Amino acid sequence: MHLWMLLMFLGWCFTEMEAGPGAAMSTQTNGDRFKIEGRAIVPGVKTQDWVSTARVLVDGEEHVGFLRTDGSFAVNDVPSGSYVVEVVTPTYRFDPVRVDITSKGKMRYARLVNYIKTSEVIRQPYPLQIRSSGPHSYFMKRETWGWTDFLMNPMVMMMVLPLLIIVLLPKVVNTNDPEMRKEMEQSMNMLNPNPELPDVSELMTKLFSGSKGSSKAGSSSKGTRPAAKRR
Amino acid sequence: AAMAKLILLWLKCVILYNAVGAVFEDQVGKFDWRQQYVGKVRFSHFDTHVQSSKKVLVATENNVFAALNTRTGELFWRHVDKSGPEGNIDALLHHGQDAILVVGNGRLLRSWDVNVGGLNWEIVLDSGSFQKACLVGQQGTVKNVAVLKKNIISLHYLSNGHQKWIENLPESETVDYQTVYSGGNGEVYALGIVPHSHVVIIAYSTDDGEIIKQISVEAPWLSNIVASCAVIGQGVLICVDSATPSLYMCDLHLDTHDLQMTQIPLQSLGLEVAPDFQPVLVSHQPNSAHQPLSEFFLQLGPDNFLLLQLNNGQIVTLRDFKPVRNLFSILPTSVNICQNVNVAWHPCQNILFPQTCYCKIFFINLFSAETGRRLLDTTLIFVMDPNGGKPEKIYIQPFLKKDDSVGYRAMVQTEDHTLTFIQQPGRVMWTREEALSDVVTMEMVDLPLTGTQAELEGEFGKKADGLMSMVFKRLSSQLILLQAWIAHLWKLFYDARKPRSQVKNEVTIENLSRDEFNLQKMMVMVTASGKLFGIDSKTGSILWRHYLEDVPSNAAFKLMVQRTTAHFPHPPQCTLLIKDQDTGLTTLHVFNPIFGKKSHVNPPALPQPILQSFLLPLMDQDYAKVLLLVDDQYKVSAFPSTKNVLQQLQEMASSIFFYLVDSSQGRLSGYRLRTDLSTEQIWEVVIPMEIQRIVSVKGKRPNEHVHSQGRVMGDRSVLYKYLNPNLLAVVTESTDTHQERSFVGIILIDGVTGRIIHEAVQRKARGPVHVVHSENWVVYEYWSTKSRRNEFSVIELYEGMELYNSTVFSSLDRPHAPQVLQQSYIFPSAISTMEATLTEKGITSRHLLIGLPSGGILSLPKMFLDPRRPEIVSEQSREENLIPYAPELMIRTEWFINYNQSISRVRGIHTSPSGLESTCLVVAYGLDIYQTRVYPSKQFDVLKDDYDYMLISSVLLALFFATMISKRLAEVKLLNRAWR
Repeated sequence: MHLWMLLMFLGWCFTEMEAGPGAAMSTQTNGDRFKIEGRAIVPGVKTQDWVSTARVLVDGEEHVGFLRTDGSFAVNDVPSGSYVVEVVTPTYRFDPVRVDITSKGKMRYARLVNYIKTSEVIRQPYPLQIRSSGPHSYFMKRETWGWTDFLMNPMVMMMVLPLLIIVLLPKVVNTNDPEMRKEMEQSMNMLNPNPELPDVSELMTKLFSGSKGSSKAGSSSKGTRPAAKRR
Repeated sequence: AAMAKLILLWLKCVILYNAVGAVFEDQVGKFDWRQQYVGKVRFSHFDTHVQSSKKVLVATENNVFAALNTRTGELFWRHVDKSGPEGNIDALLHHGQDAILVVGNGRLLRSWDVNVGGLNWEIVLDSGSFQKACLVGQQGTVKNVAVLKKNIISLHYLSNGHQKWIENLPESETVDYQTVYSGGNGEVYALGIVPHSHVVIIAYSTDDGEIIKQISVEAPWLSNIVASCAVIGQGVLICVDSATPSLYMCDLHLDTHDLQMTQIPLQSLGLEVAPDFQPVLVSHQPNSAHQPLSEFFLQLGPDNFLLLQLNNGQIVTLRDFKPVRNLFSILPTSVNICQNVNVAWHPCQNILFPQTCYCKIFFINLFSAETGRRLLDTTLIFVMDPNGGKPEKIYIQPFLKKDDSVGYRAMVQTEDHTLTFIQQPGRVMWTREEALSDVVTMEMVDLPLTGTQAELEGEFGKKADGLMSMVFKRLSSQLILLQAWIAHLWKLFYDARKPRSQVKNEVTIENLSRDEFNLQKMMVMVTASGKLFGIDSKTGSILWRHYLEDVPSNAAFKLMVQRTTAHFPHPPQCTLLIKDQDTGLTTLHVFNPIFGKKSHVNPPALPQPILQSFLLPLMDQDYAKVLLLVDDQYKVSAFPSTKNVLQQLQEMASSIFFYLVDSSQGRLSGYRLRTDLSTEQIWEVVIPMEIQRIVSVKGKRPNEHVHSQGRVMGDRSVLYKYLNPNLLAVVTESTDTHQERSFVGIILIDGVTGRIIHEAVQRKARGPVHVVHSENWVVYEYWSTKSRRNEFSVIELYEGMELYNSTVFSSLDRPHAPQVLQQSYIFPSAISTMEATLTEKGITSRHLLIGLPSGGILSLPKMFLDPRRPEIVSEQSREENLIPYAPELMIRTEWFINYNQSISRVRGIHTSPSGLESTCLVVAYGLDIYQTRVYPSKQFDVLKDDYDYMLISSVLLALFFATMISKRLAEVKLLNRAWR
């Protein structure tokens, strides 16, 4: 049996830190209960406008707290352990915070949630100060249609610019002037780096029209090309 | 390396952008709707501190505290506490703009601001089982709240919740303290009882908790204070005894130590108790700062109520409500100016309706409590819904009319958890179907075709009978179509002329029909209370309801669609299996899912407990799928059990297998059907109970289609999927819950042969485990105790590069074990429930719909949960469009299909295919119900709703004119040249 097991386990060493808040958590069932306190702030918005839709969730819906009318909260009856505390409202976004409560309930500290490096500690103030990072963005922007989008489209630019050159260039440059014509011829020759190398279009015409007058076509086409358009 | 990273990032962005199924802002409310519920009401108070207040406060059995708008029935605000006993609301007290809740068996005391819906304060009380709470007033103002527990009484300030005093109750081991009373005179009484011996009355001082007096009164006939005693008037305890039968009275204020209860035989009042009835006393205290009314109710029989008054130590009968069926504890005198009002209601008439359904009409009347006289013009009529339950409770909101007469509105709660708000003389202002807060299971049923559609369908279905008739039939059906089209155009034209407000597009049962993409369906919802609902999936309006009265409280439900609407003359048919979980006894309810009516088909009586039930793909001659029921004797019965069905069953018996799960014994067993409808066991897997227990067993959904047999790899070879329709995913959890030793196991078993295909164990993990099993993959989520986070794991099964038998899959003939791939990811949130999207043909890519505790429903593309996501990106994996492996899955709010319409306590997500391959209908239910559509691969088969018709038509027109003009110009130019 060919068995592919791509079982991932993270490479980071997990070192239980600081007297192991985790070790104490699961075994204590009817021990002391503690409370998690803090305050949620939405800058520039009155608390009355959003507290009635807000809740404080600790580890999912394991423990639930409500916000007071001034934005502060306390989640009661929490046994010691390590928890992710999250303020949930449908309108504003709050970042979750991890709170550790030691088995004696004395030392509580808060840190940023990091699910990958679970032992990393970036301290946060306690009691918690959770500041909203703005409203939730639920919606995608519609692709609106505007003239600028249309014109800045590379395909359109590729079409429009040569058109402009074809139409405007003959008007600006007087091709009837023989000096000018000579100059242009020269520049054309410059453009064609190897006059010996046949042009693809020429090659095709040669192929289809047979061998007659091939050399003549080659020399004349170069000279007359700008003029031919005007005829 | 930096470059590679950049490319990766870019690739990710591109993929993400393509994969999202987000909502656009202008789509809000276009395809989706949400209904919010609170649950069965336990306590309710009308907010009366402001005359014009429109709020009614409700505390429910679902641990929800909410304020409803009395005009519309909508929610002002709602607070959803933890479910279970820890969030249980024990009491609701209301004073001014504060509402005091006692939560979790007296663990927490909370005060809410009724106006804002915010918390004023919350305090933790000492442990001890809660008995009773009451507001305590002094000198006309209420400042404190008293909480009585088994052994403690405490007093708290209303303003901040701080404890004023706490006292241990004397002799709390022997005395059962049951209630607390305060008459607003600076004393708090705790009333306790030693059953069949004596009553203990303790008066505490409100100021410091000092015991003012402690009396015990002999009462050998009394067993429960709450049921048979009440405090009335100036602190008189009155009790009723059914044995003697008589009333007992004693004044709480008297300061004698040899207090006696004075006996007043009921016969002396000319009253009689109904046999075998425990009389009930009901009193009312309109304001906690004042004493209760001296009038009280005495219920002597199921429909015999009396209004009595205590007048100078004498009990006077004010009114005898003899014919009253249900009289409730309502004596609201909430507005001070209002005179004391009693409310009684009685079913006076039973009217036989033409449809032979038995309807009941109730009259609610107001009576003056002081005189017992009925107030004029205060009759309110409540018509009971014939498909609903009987009335259970009534809440009255009295108010003073402009001419100083008393008016009132009533909120009636019925057995089926419905709230009906009625205004005089009987106008229903709103109803709330609170049963929908507890949806157990649901199905989505296609709507029936209209007459014309059915006619067209019939043309193809019937047998050909000659060329000419076929031609005529075709012509006639085309004519019908033309007619319908003209009628439609006419209606459009007609509606366009009318002002918009008059155009009504109400959906009723009569005009229900399937739309062209089958996007509108009938949602059949089964609730825990036993009420069934039919809801239109487009608008969310309830089209039918049906209350099943004799449903046991712990019933388990299973809903099956036996016949869809596709078989036109035959009505669609659903069968609901109701199983009493204690006894295992099962009843069947067969009904029409479109109209909600009970079917004429008689379901079989099932005397034996049922172990397993399943629908077979077989149909009887009426196109009803066959339902097989296995009883505890392992005998099989079929429904419908016509001769035709039995014959088919005999032929098919050798290929019908089923499995049974006994989670209490940890046993999974497979059975085969014999031709005589008995069964034989063919396999058994025992999972040792000492180590692990079976949590859930998940098969695949029978209506699931898989379009592609394999996956094309980067090198153009094909990796074939292992698509075993009989595969079961069995999830186990360890019995040892220690975080170092707990584990979660998953076993994939073939349901026919019992062969274990794969077994995986997640160490240091515990449940709750959420599983989705579909196609060739199983996704499950668990809690990692080691890293303290939620993790997702995905298992995919592949046959390999060759398919063994590409035409038919047979469990009995698959010699090669599949290749198993597995990968795990971190998920940054707990989850409530999980389901996969489902489409008609299975071409559309799959998404996982994940209900989060925050109320969002995340639509996570399955491609993020793909065990072939490479850690190192290669050319081939890029060719295959595999996203490079990242340990953490993201939650992006753009992926929330319900944007800000959060859904509380999501318990289930139901997905159903629509007629469009790109579209999947989603219903999420929990406390709320939310319906929407999702497009996992965007809308590839219809024009998007933002398709710019204007632009395309203007461009076409412009091009047309440009060619015309340029043609003309070219002609002119040619002419000019010819002249030259």
